[in-house]
Amino acid sequence: MGDFSDLLESHGVTRREFLKYCSALGAALALPLSMTAKIAEAIESDTRPPVIWLEFQDCAGDSESLLRANRPTVGDLVLDHISLDYHETIMAAAGHQAEASQQATVEKYKGKYICIVEGSIPTEAGGVYCTIGGRTAVDILKQVGGNAALIIAVGNCAAYGGLPAAHPNPTGAKGVSEILPGKTIINLPGCPMNVDNLTATVVHYLTFGAAPACDRHLRPLFAYGKRIHDNCERRAHFDAGQYVENWGDYGHRQGWCLYKMGCKGPETFHNCPTLRWNEGLSWPVMAGHGCVGCSEPLFFDAMMPMYRRLPNVPGFGVEASAVKIGTAIVGASAAIFAAHGAVTTARNWKKIGKAKAEAREEISHLNSDSDSEES
Amino acid sequence: MAETLNSSETGGGRKFECAARRFLYIWEGPIRIIHWVNFFCIIILSFTGWYIHDPFITSTQHPYIMGNMRYVHYLTGVVFAVSFLARSYWLLNGEYYASWRMFPNPFDKKDRHTFWTFIRYYTFLSKDAPHILGHNPVAVVAYIGLYALFAFQILSGFALWSQADPGGSLYAATGWLFAIIGNQWVRWFHLLVMFLIGGFFINHLYSVVLFDFKSKSGEVSSIFSGWKPDRRD
Ligand code: HEM
Repeated sequence: MGDFSDLLESHGVTRREFLKYCSALGAALALPLSMTAKIAEAIESDTRPPVIWLEFQDCAGDSESLLRANRPTVGDLVLDHISLDYHETIMAAAGHQAEASQQATVEKYKGKYICIVEGSIPTEAGGVYCTIGGRTAVDILKQVGGNAALIIAVGNCAAYGGLPAAHPNPTGAKGVSEILPGKTIINLPGCPMNVDNLTATVVHYLTFGAAPACDRHLRPLFAYGKRIHDNCERRAHFDAGQYVENWGDYGHRQGWCLYKMGCKGPETFHNCPTLRWNEGLSWPVMAGHGCVGCSEPLFFDAMMPMYRRLPNVPGFGVEASAVKIGTAIVGASAAIFAAHGAVTTARNWKKIGKAKAEAREEISHLNSDSDSEES
Repeated sequence: MAETLNSSETGGGRKFECAARRFLYIWEGPIRIIHWVNFFCIIILSFTGWYIHDPFITSTQHPYIMGNMRYVHYLTGVVFAVSFLARSYWLLNGEYYASWRMFPNPFDKKDRHTFWTFIRYYTFLSKDAPHILGHNPVAVVAYIGLYALFAFQILSGFALWSQADPGGSLYAATGWLFAIIGNQWVRWFHLLVMFLIGGFFINHLYSVVLFDFKSKSGEVSSIFSGWKPDRRD
């Protein structure tokens, strides 16, 4: 772990830029400005915990997200600089050598290191769908994750099972918290996670020695505490009733609301609209596509169909929406009660006829009575 | 206790004198008010809710249309919730016909018998059912179901609303629903239940008219006036 200021210098990052970054990070974590110095100190200190990055059933998208920078930013250096002792995709070591270094870290830093998990954990058939160095993912996670001070599950797969857990989930894919209940776990779901949130989470841990406050799905509130819908730059168009009706139509070209195109923003929580992606350049809704809900526990199944706001219910070979089922229910009750009415009328036909005849007779009596009174 | 009104002065020896011996005050004022508040709330909630589901009026016709629809939906939702709470109070503390005391007791042989008599009547297996002041036992079961739907609709509605501020007290009070069914499904059911209430509405309207004819006891007018003729003889 070399001297951090040397590292910054060698990448042409000035002290001023570094401190600017620290205050931006503090803002992302919703900390007061006075915390900037403390954050800088924590990043620069030499007592940073080592990190083991585990990959299971994944697409390496979160690793991509980690490495995606086209120019080195301070954030990348921070993540580079924490000692990433084991990361299959990017480490130099391979084979037994790699596994040995992983085990060495686990032994040496028991209960002190951070374990980052990417990808879901298959549990079907004894976990054989994902094995590394002859060990199943469940086994590795229980040992490496179980001995960590803190686990950060990056991406929806590691957090909640994600794509591999989509129906019919052939591998029995699960998220980390289902394998290690009770462990300190921070979920950074997303497809992929936003690397700025990972940096902020790690720095929070470095600064305070504790995980940030999380919601019921174990997502840090600083990043997942607000609904996408409420911070969306297209929100005004939603309330105004200006909607995209078709891809490429007038509204779409004007940047109107994507609600009718199946945007999941009203039910999803993430800081995409404020933090954005690719160095704050853009995010899906800004680019003209609705939110697909990739940072929710319900992703994938309940977020599909992608271009419908609400999920469908499978059954009888066809997928049915709430409206279809509802219309069938209302239609059926209308039919049942119309039929009931018809049968009731038919069954009472004679009775009704008799009552009518009686009434007619009575009226004629009344009429003749009044006739005689007049005369 | 039910007040009575004598109808003997309407007599006169003719065949068409009023068949009722007297009139009974069945539906107290608050119950009737709650009934009609619910009626209008459901109509407004269904209309604005359907608009939220499928915004069929666009801004070219109306500026800020979704904002207004949502405002009306939420405001009516609050009125509906208050009405629901008021009905719950009468369920616990109201007089006999409005309270839980008129629920059929599933452990009572006579009550079970009456219930099945009504089921047989509704399914054409028998021609007659006893005349009952207030709700018949099958109707009571339907109303318990409807009450549950209302409760769900109110809970899910407030929970969906609370998502705008997950740090707030409304979320703390209702957000636990999302731990049981995810928010996408809460929304899905909130939409489906609208149709279930619609299905109930058809049933309700039909049954009221049916019994109005069958028992000639002024079912329809009773929810306006509160009075029903006593025709138990
Ligand atoms: C009879 C009762 C009700 C009916 C029939 C009803 C109907 C609906 C419907 C059809 C939707 C649209 C669902 C969708 O497609 O996503 C909706 C949304 C909603 N309803 Fe209700 N609703 C009722 C009661 C309530 C109550 C009591 C509240 C609480 C104040 C409420 C709050 C909401 C909210 C917050 C939304 C989501 C709106 C948004 O995302 O902007 N509803 N309702």
